[in-house]
Amino acid sequence: MTATAKVLSVDEPSRPTGPIMSRHQSKLLSGLFRHVDAGHRLNVLEIGPALPETVEFFAQFRCRLHFVDLYNEPFLRDRQANLSEKEFRHCFEERFLFPADSRLDICLFGDFLSFLDDRALRAFNSALRPWIHPETRAHGFGVHHLAVKLEHHQYGIIDRDTLSIRSRHTDHMPYHPHSQVEMADMLNSFAFARGLLLPSGKLEMILKPKAV
Amino acid sequence: MAMFDKHKNTKQPPQREEDPMVTRQSPSVNTPPPAPGTVSKVAMVGDGISITGDVTANSNLKVEGRIEGRAVSSPQDIEVAESGVIKASITAKVVRIAGAVAGDISGSEKVVISRTGRVQGNIVAPRVQLDDGALFRGSIDMNPAEPAPVKKAAQAKPAADSRQATKAPVGAPGNKTAGTEAKKEPGLTLKSG
Repeated sequence: MTATAKVLSVDEPSRPTGPIMSRHQSKLLSGLFRHVDAGHRLNVLEIGPALPETVEFFAQFRCRLHFVDLYNEPFLRDRQANLSEKEFRHCFEERFLFPADSRLDICLFGDFLSFLDDRALRAFNSALRPWIHPETRAHGFGVHHLAVKLEHHQYGIIDRDTLSIRSRHTDHMPYHPHSQVEMADMLNSFAFARGLLLPSGKLEMILKPKAV
Repeated sequence: MAMFDKHKNTKQPPQREEDPMVTRQSPSVNTPPPAPGTVSKVAMVGDGISITGDVTANSNLKVEGRIEGRAVSSPQDIEVAESGVIKASITAKVVRIAGAVAGDISGSEKVVISRTGRVQGNIVAPRVQLDDGALFRGSIDMNPAEPAPVKKAAQAKPAADSRQATKAPVGAPGNKTAGTEAKKEPGLTLKSG
């Protein structure tokens, strides 16, 4: 067993996943799969819990799905104000222990980036950098302006154009929205490939590695 | 009468009462795999039963109790019931989990985690199904085109004598007594960890 997952007590009570509340028809999501070679084994990182529809969707691919549910991490939930960037980086690196020869093809961030303060976001960027390659693509949500409040949602993939939206049943994390300029500065392993402003004030984005 | 004689001559391990709170290291016991064409049998680790060590079944295996060791394997199906807990790797054809598992899982056909299931580990299987409410932490390696490689279940070694017969209560559901006398389940091997 790799150290990808934090210790899950098998004796702890189960927290039910909320039902699918709504669906989001995405004009960008299919961009993640444009570069996918059918014969290639996909490596996918989901920053969130494993959801049935996501697992079912990826069953059509040869793939390895890594579920790293960072929404439920005490170091982010309770200690975000106290940790240095180096300490954050160490925490993220401990959770990104993928097989040494693997690189991530797809990263699913959901709205996670808006729950990281500046130091945590920089550390997340640094810890993820060794695992991406030039064809890596990432999908996520940010905000168009800082007054927008993101709901605590988790996202699954139903098909190439449709995301499921469920309420999150985990303890809420501190909210740190970033402007697109700030995000580009702190998440500098990636560049914006495409962005789409949604009526809710959310910014849906596809990211690609920044050319060095 | 012959039937009774036959029954009388069948070597049954002596019944012993033991401390129901004791979880025992489990020595080996073996029964041969069911003959081809016979009805598929299910070996059972009942509710309230704890086994420390490796478990190899030659038939289907249902776990309602607790197993802690390195490996639990069967060439058939393994089901972890809602009350079941396994802290070991699992290898089988189909693995169905309604209870809790901490360990890697390999299913040559399919792995199913139902709504009450909680799993921490890595899964390798051609198909993986998660039901709403299932909790999973780890990675899932899926290859729809080809069956996952499954380690062959360890060959069962015949128990040398009655002293080797397990004291581990691989028994009927609802048996709350850990450490009761050996009860041979179809094709089940226990190996002390």
